[in-house]
Amino acid sequence: MNTRTTNKRRLRAELPLHLMLVPGIIVTLIYAYGPMLGIVMAFQKFKPLLGFFKSEWVGFKNFEYVFNLPDFTQVLWNTFFISIMKIAFGLLIPLILALLLNEITKNWFKRLIQTSIFLPFFLSWAVLGGVLIEIFSLKGPVNGLISAVGVEPIMFMGINEWFVSIIIGSDVWKGMGYNMIIFLAAIVSINANLYEAAEVDGAGKWKQMVHITLPGMAPIIILMCTLSLGGVLNAGFEQILILYNPAVYESADVIDTFVYRLGLFDQQYAPAAAVGLFKSVISVALVSLSYYLAYRLTNYRIF
Amino acid sequence: MRRTTASLIVMIMLIVALAACSGNDNAGGNNSKQGNDPSANKGSNVSGNQSDSGPQDPLGKYEEPITVTQVLAYRAPEEGDALKGVTPETNGYLKDLKEMLNIDLKYEWSVPADQFEQKFSLAIASGDLPDIMQIDYNTYEKFKEQDVLADLTDAYKNYASPLLKKTIEADNGFALKSLTTDGKLLGVATSGEGVVQIVWIRSDWLANLKLQPPTTIDELEKVAEAFVKNDPDQNGSDDTYGIVFNKNLLGWGFDARGAFYSHGAYPGAWIKDADGKLVAGEVQPETKTALARMQSWYKNGILDKEFALRDENKASEDIVASKVGIAFGEWWYPNWPLNLNKDNDPKAEWIPLMLPSLDGSAPGKTLISRTVSSILVVNKKAKHPEAAIKMANFYLELSKPKYAVKESPDFKGAKNGYIYLWFQPRFYYPKMFDEVMAKVSDAIDAKQDQLDLPDDFPGAGEAQSVFTNAKKFFENPKDNAAWGMWYSRGARDGGVGLSKKVVDEKHTVYNEYYGPPTPTMLEKGASLNKLMIETFTKIIMGSAPITDFDKFADSWKKLGGNDITDEVNAWYAENAVKE
Repeated sequence: MNTRTTNKRRLRAELPLHLMLVPGIIVTLIYAYGPMLGIVMAFQKFKPLLGFFKSEWVGFKNFEYVFNLPDFTQVLWNTFFISIMKIAFGLLIPLILALLLNEITKNWFKRLIQTSIFLPFFLSWAVLGGVLIEIFSLKGPVNGLISAVGVEPIMFMGINEWFVSIIIGSDVWKGMGYNMIIFLAAIVSINANLYEAAEVDGAGKWKQMVHITLPGMAPIIILMCTLSLGGVLNAGFEQILILYNPAVYESADVIDTFVYRLGLFDQQYAPAAAVGLFKSVISVALVSLSYYLAYRLTNYRIF
Repeated sequence: MRRTTASLIVMIMLIVALAACSGNDNAGGNNSKQGNDPSANKGSNVSGNQSDSGPQDPLGKYEEPITVTQVLAYRAPEEGDALKGVTPETNGYLKDLKEMLNIDLKYEWSVPADQFEQKFSLAIASGDLPDIMQIDYNTYEKFKEQDVLADLTDAYKNYASPLLKKTIEADNGFALKSLTTDGKLLGVATSGEGVVQIVWIRSDWLANLKLQPPTTIDELEKVAEAFVKNDPDQNGSDDTYGIVFNKNLLGWGFDARGAFYSHGAYPGAWIKDADGKLVAGEVQPETKTALARMQSWYKNGILDKEFALRDENKASEDIVASKVGIAFGEWWYPNWPLNLNKDNDPKAEWIPLMLPSLDGSAPGKTLISRTVSSILVVNKKAKHPEAAIKMANFYLELSKPKYAVKESPDFKGAKNGYIYLWFQPRFYYPKMFDEVMAKVSDAIDAKQDQLDLPDDFPGAGEAQSVFTNAKKFFENPKDNAAWGMWYSRGARDGGVGLSKKVVDEKHTVYNEYYGPPTPTMLEKGASLNKLMIETFTKIIMGSAPITDFDKFADSWKKLGGNDITDEVNAWYAENAVKE
């Protein structure tokens, strides 16, 4: 009785706050959940003008069609390769940078480096793409440098191995500032007494890093690793679309660019939706797995 | 009861009177025909817009205003003197359409032209289509299959003006036939024969190096090599190359189509082989020969090392910057970008040549693809399908010399707010460019001051503007924009002139397939196309050996090419108009 009245009173007091949620929920329903109904398209022989209700149902035909396309395995492999490389280097390099930056004692210098590393994060691929193509062109500065030391000019954007390296490298370079800040924050939160104690015990900078800094950061590192697993099928649509060309389709065509061409240029909506759904299912599985791993390994929970 | 009958009669009289007033000269001819036609008497045609009642006034005014909807791919007006501040909604055509026909035209949406395809795809996907559209053949097939198109049989029969009929049926009914299904005409269009491929070459560079215009592919190669090595612009630095390509090998300009055709190779087209069967050009031995030659071009620096990284617009910059001396392409180059090259480099001179010959006998054969495009269709839900035909009449009416010639007192053009680019449906007499070229050349040869055009000359505005530009150019040879118009559209030895000669002398090969995409094409076409472009690009760049062509041809056949070939031949046996 008593709890019920307090509950009632609480509800009345908090009702306006709950009501404030309503617009957000409605917007989410309309723009995030509503379009999900479009998934039915993946199981239909979808004809736009007949709509979802009159198009013919075909079961898993669209999936069969897509998986049997001659280049699908290649595309899938490209996606995995590019994104795993991006994840690996995208964590490793910021980690090293954070550790190095942590050793810098001059505060102004540290800030300067930190800011300049973070800066490319804010540039859009549309701008960066044009710049990259120019920089790596045959008459660009990179080839200028290497021909100055007597190496033949290389067409970086037209050779598969180089192109993929540039895709991965530029993505890591662009995003490394962000992860670096997270790692720096993790380092700062380590108890300073530990370092003092280690110094008393005669540990040098290197030993301190190996035995105190890294173990102290471990939960954050593992957390970042597992969370990025969910994005394994996102190899960076915008970046690749802007940079690629027919000469490097073999290594650079990924699921997203593939769906883009299938859906918007060839107007095969249903197969494109099927690929999208396939991607989402894999992503949900990976996110759940990584969420579970994050919980087991670092005791991190969102909910 | 009696009162309603009386008012009906009054209304009919009013409509007839109005129609007679607004219908200009040709309306009279039609009205008299109506009297002779027995079917005209059957229908008691009250509102003047029912379609099953015999010939009607092609430009008759609706008694009540009607509204039709369209969508717009927005492009800035092409004309330099376009009236400032005109928007698609205040376009002069819309004002006249309202005045002459009492039709209110509403745009459901408009986006910049480069986003139109995507936006229109989305509109199709959401089923939200306007009343009147002008679409390509693929979209037409899709609409037909989904049964969203209105039957235009009667509307066309009864409302099309003589000029519209002349324009549409200039191909002896080919387009109308291919747009008729089960006796229903679902779309109205002209048919085209595609654009002739020619070669544009820097004649001042030829002169600098004391070379003759090349007529064979070997000579062309020698010239291109000289353009790479012998400093054709005589500026003392090694900054030129031979032939411009871009990453779309089969694109819309500055591409490799002409180079393929010169070798008798027609990738992307369906050619008749010795047994009379249709075969795909991309897997024929001629294509291999062409690719081998392009590979050597690439190796010798005749092609730009990075052509595969750049699109058409980027490639055109090399022409403007005087970096390249040879471009395979179409008649319009002088209009863009050659005129800009002349602005940039006053010494630059360009001439068009026929495609080089492979064996030295006859020039290379260009590909002629019969196409039906810009198809006028009407949404089934639209209340006035005949309005689309009337609007087509209206556009042709306004292209008559009376309105289209700048010097005419009734001139309706960009400078007083008539932006043709925004108005649909637009139809052009298919051979218009040829006729314009002939008329203008004749007038220039005869040193006329005025261009005399017959009253129903198709493309009068075009002819007049080419003529004016020709006059301007001869007065001031440094006016490169005027040169562009004259040399692309007017001169007998210019773009259109040479293209016409190519067709007249039959240096042509026909793409025999002009049907809709077959089921396997729809399913596998994208993959096969990707395979083709990827393989060809790599072979040319030397990152794959020429023997990869055989591998490509094998996989092409296995991955659906054979099925497509069967489907195409089945269609050919059944539908093709064989000559």
